[in-house]
Amino acid sequence: MKYLLIPFGIIFLALSGCATHHPQNAEEFRQAAPGAFMGKKETFEVDRSYKDVAQTFKKKAPQCLNIRVKTTSQTTTSYQVLVTRYKPTVMVSKQRAELHVQQHHETGVLKVTKEPEGGYYLVVTDAYPVSKNKTKIVMYRPSMGYDVMIKAIKGWATGKNMGCPDMTKI
Amino acid sequence: MKTATQVKQASLLVLLLGFGFLTGCSGIKTYPNNLDKNLSITTTTESGSFFSSVNAALDIYLVNRDCSLEYQGTIKLDKATVTVGIPTDKSSYLVFGFASSSFLANSSGSISQETLLKPRKGYRYKINVSYLDDIYNVEIRETHPRKSTSRDVDTAGLNTCT
Repeated sequence: MKYLLIPFGIIFLALSGCATHHPQNAEEFRQAAPGAFMGKKETFEVDRSYKDVAQTFKKKAPQCLNIRVKTTSQTTTSYQVLVTRYKPTVMVSKQRAELHVQQHHETGVLKVTKEPEGGYYLVVTDAYPVSKNKTKIVMYRPSMGYDVMIKAIKGWATGKNMGCPDMTKI
Repeated sequence: MKTATQVKQASLLVLLLGFGFLTGCSGIKTYPNNLDKNLSITTTTESGSFFSSVNAALDIYLVNRDCSLEYQGTIKLDKATVTVGIPTDKSSYLVFGFASSSFLANSSGSISQETLLKPRKGYRYKINVSYLDDIYNVEIRETHPRKSTSRDVDTAGLNTCT
């Protein structure tokens, strides 16, 4: 059932008119997500140094999110196969560490708007240094679905869970 | 009229044929695991739902000089701790696979965490494998039976093979 939400979500976005232009880069995504249908901006602080958070993003994102996932779902009336490629990007400077996740459907989803290179932006997470052992995290993300990926990124930020999300559960 | 022994033999033959068919066709073979046990793998799996399950297994490949892989076999990680022996001072490619299935949604999926590992002679490797509420993790720690020091070993993809 979860899988059906993805194409439905995209179709709804198209119908509602807000998907005539999907964000083509991370900055556009930051601007668009908080006010978008099924989009959200979430801010919190973690008791961890900025350096550690940035290092964890650099280590875990390529390890866990550079992945191609094939999922199948079947009901009595439907059978669906989705092949999805996820692309993580991590950029670190003195002021900000960024983790972008892009999603490209290789099969199973009709594209109705121009897709950025690497896929549609799904999550943008920014980390900012606050003090020696505090870091501010700002997540631009879907408000529904993708829970397991959001949970994993939060785990990397807090340092409390270094596991990878099972992307077949998205 | 068949004797009880004949029936037993026929049943055994059917079982063996079935087993051979399943293992032969799937390409899965059990890892011989006859080397000195240098890996101690502790596994914890919880699907997070009564209506779904998750199974973990380890595929072991030998890494050739040209970085090509030779499949050696698979070990089910269905016990709390499993000890495994892999060659020392040469690289192996370990694929920790998690297969999940949901009875209600009639869906299934699998995901894996792979790593190259070149065990050092005399060292032991404690590997914690977990799949908890859709988050999986593989952590490797190298220890020596007669030394107090130990170190974490980062997972490394096949692209790091040289």
